[in-house]
Amino acid sequence: MSRGGWRKRASEDDGWGGRGGYMAAKVCKLEEQFRHDAPKQQQHEGISSSIFSGVAIYVNGYTNPTADELRKLMMVHGGQYHMYYSRSKTTHIIASNLPNSKIKELKGEKVVRPEWITDSIKAGRLLSYLQYQLYSRQKSLNFNNVCKLEEPTPGPSNIPKELETRVNGTAKKLPDIMKNVTVKLNGWNGLDNLEEEEEFELNELEPISPVHYWNAFKHSQNPASIANGHAHSSNGALKPLEQTLHPGRTSIGKSPCSLLSRKDVNKELGEMRDYGVQQYSNQNADTHLNLSCPADPPPLHSNIKVNGAHHISVQGPSPSKSTYEPCHKQAAPMSPPSAHPRTTDSSFISEFYSHSRLHHISTWKCEFTDFVNNLQRQSNGFFPGKDKLKRLKNGRVCQPSSDTGNTGPHKHQTCIMHVDMDCFFVSVGIRDKPDLKGKPIAVTSNRGGGRTALRPGTNIQLEMQYYKRRYMKNKGDETKVPGKGDVSASETPDAGLNGVDLDLAALSMAEIASCSYEARQAGIKNGMFFGQAKKLCPSLQSVPYDFNAYKEVALTMYETLASYTHEIEAVSCDEALLDVTDILTDLGLTPDCIANAVRAEIKEKTKCTASVGMASNILLARMATRKAKPDGQCYLKPEEIDDFIRDQLVTSLPGVGKTMGYKLGIMGVRTCGDLQQLSMAKLQKEFGPKTGQTLYRFCRGLDDRPVKTDRQRKSVSAEINYGIRFTQASEAEGFLLDLSDEIQRRLEAAGVRGRRLTLKVMVRKLGAPLEPAKFGGHGICDSLTRTVNLEQATDNSRIICREALKLFHSLKLNVSDVRGVGMQINHLIPVQRRNTVTSPHVAQPYSVKDLLMAKRSKRLSSVPAETCESTSPDKSLLLRNSLCSAPFKQQLTEPTPGTSKSEPVVRYNGGLHTPSKSRANLSIEVPSPSQIDHSVLEALPADIKQQVEQVYLSKSEETPNGFVMDAQPVDTIILQIPEQLGQNSNNGIIVALPEFSQVDPEVFAALPLELQEELKAAYGQRQKTSEGNNNQQLALVTRNPLLHLKQPIVVKTKKRSKKKNVSSPVKKVESPLKVKLLHSPMKNSAIHTRSPQKLIPDFLKREEAAADKLKLETGPSTSGLSTVSQVQGTKASLPQGPNLAGAFELTDIKMLLKEWVTTISDPMEEDILQVVRYCTELIEDKDLEKLDLVIKYMKRLMQQSVDSVWSMAFDFILDNIQVVIQQMYGSTLKIT
Amino acid sequence: MVTFTQSAYNAREKETAEKISHIKVSNKEMLCHVKPVSCESVIYKRFVSSMTTLTRQDLNFGQVVADILCEFLEVAIHLILYVREVYPTGIFQKRKKYNVPVQMSCHPELNQYIQDTLHCIKPLIEKNDAEKVVVVIMDKEHHPVERFVFEISQPPLLSVSSDALLSHVEQLLRAFILKISVCDAILDNNPPGCTFTMLVHTREAATRNMEKIQVIKDFPWIVADEQEVQMREPRLIPLKTMTSDIVKMQLYVEERAQKMP
Repeated sequence: MSRGGWRKRASEDDGWGGRGGYMAAKVCKLEEQFRHDAPKQQQHEGISSSIFSGVAIYVNGYTNPTADELRKLMMVHGGQYHMYYSRSKTTHIIASNLPNSKIKELKGEKVVRPEWITDSIKAGRLLSYLQYQLYSRQKSLNFNNVCKLEEPTPGPSNIPKELETRVNGTAKKLPDIMKNVTVKLNGWNGLDNLEEEEEFELNELEPISPVHYWNAFKHSQNPASIANGHAHSSNGALKPLEQTLHPGRTSIGKSPCSLLSRKDVNKELGEMRDYGVQQYSNQNADTHLNLSCPADPPPLHSNIKVNGAHHISVQGPSPSKSTYEPCHKQAAPMSPPSAHPRTTDSSFISEFYSHSRLHHISTWKCEFTDFVNNLQRQSNGFFPGKDKLKRLKNGRVCQPSSDTGNTGPHKHQTCIMHVDMDCFFVSVGIRDKPDLKGKPIAVTSNRGGGRTALRPGTNIQLEMQYYKRRYMKNKGDETKVPGKGDVSASETPDAGLNGVDLDLAALSMAEIASCSYEARQAGIKNGMFFGQAKKLCPSLQSVPYDFNAYKEVALTMYETLASYTHEIEAVSCDEALLDVTDILTDLGLTPDCIANAVRAEIKEKTKCTASVGMASNILLARMATRKAKPDGQCYLKPEEIDDFIRDQLVTSLPGVGKTMGYKLGIMGVRTCGDLQQLSMAKLQKEFGPKTGQTLYRFCRGLDDRPVKTDRQRKSVSAEINYGIRFTQASEAEGFLLDLSDEIQRRLEAAGVRGRRLTLKVMVRKLGAPLEPAKFGGHGICDSLTRTVNLEQATDNSRIICREALKLFHSLKLNVSDVRGVGMQINHLIPVQRRNTVTSPHVAQPYSVKDLLMAKRSKRLSSVPAETCESTSPDKSLLLRNSLCSAPFKQQLTEPTPGTSKSEPVVRYNGGLHTPSKSRANLSIEVPSPSQIDHSVLEALPADIKQQVEQVYLSKSEETPNGFVMDAQPVDTIILQIPEQLGQNSNNGIIVALPEFSQVDPEVFAALPLELQEELKAAYGQRQKTSEGNNNQQLALVTRNPLLHLKQPIVVKTKKRSKKKNVSSPVKKVESPLKVKLLHSPMKNSAIHTRSPQKLIPDFLKREEAAADKLKLETGPSTSGLSTVSQVQGTKASLPQGPNLAGAFELTDIKMLLKEWVTTISDPMEEDILQVVRYCTELIEDKDLEKLDLVIKYMKRLMQQSVDSVWSMAFDFILDNIQVVIQQMYGSTLKIT
Repeated sequence: MVTFTQSAYNAREKETAEKISHIKVSNKEMLCHVKPVSCESVIYKRFVSSMTTLTRQDLNFGQVVADILCEFLEVAIHLILYVREVYPTGIFQKRKKYNVPVQMSCHPELNQYIQDTLHCIKPLIEKNDAEKVVVVIMDKEHHPVERFVFEISQPPLLSVSSDALLSHVEQLLRAFILKISVCDAILDNNPPGCTFTMLVHTREAATRNMEKIQVIKDFPWIVADEQEVQMREPRLIPLKTMTSDIVKMQLYVEERAQKMP
């Protein structure tokens, strides 16, 4: 068989064996021929070079110039030409277009357009192939069209061409002087460039860098701006160079034609260039060249790297460019004229936030939520607005004719009212300016005529191109969706670009925050750049921001609304949701009546109009508001809903954005009516279970989201993407620290702590200009996000910062490319303040039980426990609560009537872990000094070591009786004492020991003698203390906690069913899964992520967990491995693997499942899905063994359960898992 | 008699990156009066040597991991053949490995075959190119009845720092061995007259390298037939999963629902 291509094995006997097969021989011969022909060809052409030495091309398909010509070119210029592609030898593949399959096949190869060769020859050197790539491997956009305008690209790129011509038109005003200057300068520089080449270069430059020309032009008129643009503080080794440069550069601005001063500049430039050649960093130069102008001969360009931190690119002698310095990363954006703070300033962030006004508005929502909450708390049941309505009704019956029939159903029907101010910023802005009413108005920070001076170093066109392309892409998507074309081109922010000439470059980049309806008619949209908007609508007037007024109006609005009801959900500063069901029922009014009253009152008080939409749920209310706008109201009667929703576009549904709209469009769905035709199964298949279900419900106008008056915050974040220009890693680090501080402030303000940190970094997109068009803006960026789970909820900036730094470093970014940094904290847990402790006499009866529960749960589920030293038993009780997992707690609180106040304590006690406390704990949570391995201590980092030593110092007089821990994990077995109340203060042992009777004598005997001694001592001490304690404790210890569980279940279910009848969807019983999610920190997340203070306790916890395992793991997983290995397993590998509500270990998972199955009689879909998700993660994580065990356990649990619901739940879970396994492995799990 | 099937060189280039190579061994009747070969000592020596490599500064983790894994696979394959009764029990001898008793074949040709196989797999593991190593047990008609799949993935960053870790890995591997030795409790009995073959699922483009390397002459790998890979109504039984710093491996068995013909 000889089908092995030319890699065929040599042993084949076909006559070519000796030469490695026919093909190999042929290739060899072709290469020989090529080598042979090359000198001839060179002679023939009369030129030769070695531009392409080391380059071997393979031409695929049609190219221009043809393959044969390329072959000749390669001959002449020292390259290699391969007739047959060889992955190992061919360096570049030349192609103009490739079919998809080829692209896939050639993944990772350099596929380059033929222009690369021709251009390289023109340039006389090997250009970087990067920007000639036919397609790019990364998803980064090709900026080719912008950079390489002279290239005859067919098809969609006619836009750049159009621009080009326009640009040329304007730029041609200049060329006369330019040409002369260039020629002369070149001559002066002694570069033996031929006249033609310069012509060529100029031609090249014209289309490519019109902005540069424009710059030059502008600068020549406006020397001041140049000075501004370049005045920057120089530092380090750069100083002398820059200073010498300055006078020269300014002189350019002042007298563009005075060659004398120009010569000076060039002299300096020449010097710098020489310098630069030494430290010529190839990569830098390449990429930079690509960005600015690809056709420049190399000597004209060089990048100088000084200190490794500052890049100055000195660009050839053409005057247009010597005035433009794109690489002054530090200088340009932070240029002095506007005295903006630098990111390096320590106060940057606080400055930023105190100046960033829009930021304030976004925080208002929280403020208003608090405002509403406060109102509710202080409510005395008196609503002036409601009273007014009552009077109104009594005075004159509101719409009596239609009313009588309608009031009936309203009494039971919920009615949600959505109040939204009409173009809030505008109407507030012009409320005192009646003359502006009815005119196109935009609120923006730009005060002028929509023009700004252009800053050097920007490449606005590139950005415009990008935005436009992005827009075109979206638009392309949209137009594919039938009927979505109602957004006409003229309405879009970027559409104006086509009609805009070079002036564009100087247009204001201030964004429009809001515009009036009149302006919207002219095609202006919120978020548009003001300059463009002005183009679209010359009569557009700008109104400045007036933040005080906004706040005042918003507050008035909320006050007004609050006078009717307190069932308010603050959506934003100008938007709120009200549940007016009660008012309707109480007063028997029609919704329209209320809406009229509310709108009238808002208008009267604020002089701004509001629109109101009302319907039976939030979704419909919002849609109704859309219909009502501007200044109107709309009530969707229940019988109208079906017709109404059918005609709504799917994109008007919340959660349906461009992507999903596009997807739906492909499926032929445009309106909700179309969507209704799809089955739930199909939607879930397409969009995932949750989204699918939501869509299914939404398109039918179903929405059971309640008006959440006390909406919990889900995340706290801070992000800055303005003015970020780092030059050194240390600056970035400092910035992260500051940002962490800001986060801490916000967390504290919100009274929460979070357990998940997300770091978002915006990085300049590859190939994007170094300096964006918008001053200090971020330009075109890629967003990178990284997330880490913290061990404990925290609001400590130091912890946050450390994690953030780790994430940041893991990204391995070039700090100078960072354009924005954001941090977000999720998984928030409210901080419970101590003063909310329930009064002692309520707490006391439960204290013991509570404590024991805590113990038990601690032991079983190994929730990392904070053992707290406290003097008052009450406090310790409360703290112990935190150890207890939620089902127990609820069970404890719920049976008692009248303890509803204690509930918050129970729920939020996760927040009790304050850093200060854990620090206090430290003194107890270290091993006794005798146990410390000094070599280990020595090996610790200095700061940790110091801390450990300090602790020992303070401890030495405290107690001789330390916690047992051996430095060698092999011998470590940690046991727990189930009860320990009150002994903390006089006892050094922190680890809870089990009942002595529970200790396995064999294990005990196997312990080293020292350990035995210590344990004995500990037990002895404990006995003393426990004697003093309540006997009750001991009695309760032995009881199985499950006994307690039984009773409360009934209570709970009753409560729930009651709730259901009232149709309040607020979940009263939280399932253990969710509660765990809140309370159990991830144990296995990396140990080194913790602060030094916490290192040791953490270690101990881990050990405890392992010890737990030893005791509890009775499942089929015991596979002969010793505990030791498991201890090491948990220690050695700290995976961020799949977890169920934060639980990693099999025992934890089992506990959790058991809690779930035993405490809840009716599993919630959400929880089932979470279990399914966990199992899916396990499959993806290739941990089938664990999956098997989990499933077997669930099977046992659920099929034993009395309720058939659980069997069904199990079947559901199993079915889902089998499907996933089938997909992954092609087989199904054998369930025995 | 052990016979190696003459494998044809098949250059059929598939679109999909995944290539499955396999070697086939069929047994008719195994004679068992063969002197025991001391495989165990060999393996143990290699294990020790890999440990010493680790402590050196310039260690090549890929090689170390491949050494450890191949050694383990060798033990595991022998044990599977024993437990699943592919060969008469008489050719196996009890030995100690990972501190637990294991069964090793003493048939020199079979041992040679297994060692050759692993020799070929080793470079793949070194480069993290082997995704799965599969021991397929086939019935008389050469339809697979059972597949023991070792799914191997190596963490992108290999970092081994302490010696303790190796003993940790050893313990994890021991757990695998123990699991294999009791897996007959979960699995149905195989029909008589079974043979076995080895499959390697490689990651992208690894086959190309394999062709180049061809570690052992006359031991070529071929793309597996569909028939040998496909199994009717497979049922999956997870056996063991390990996660360590150097390698992540799981073993599961796929079993044909109806084993008896």
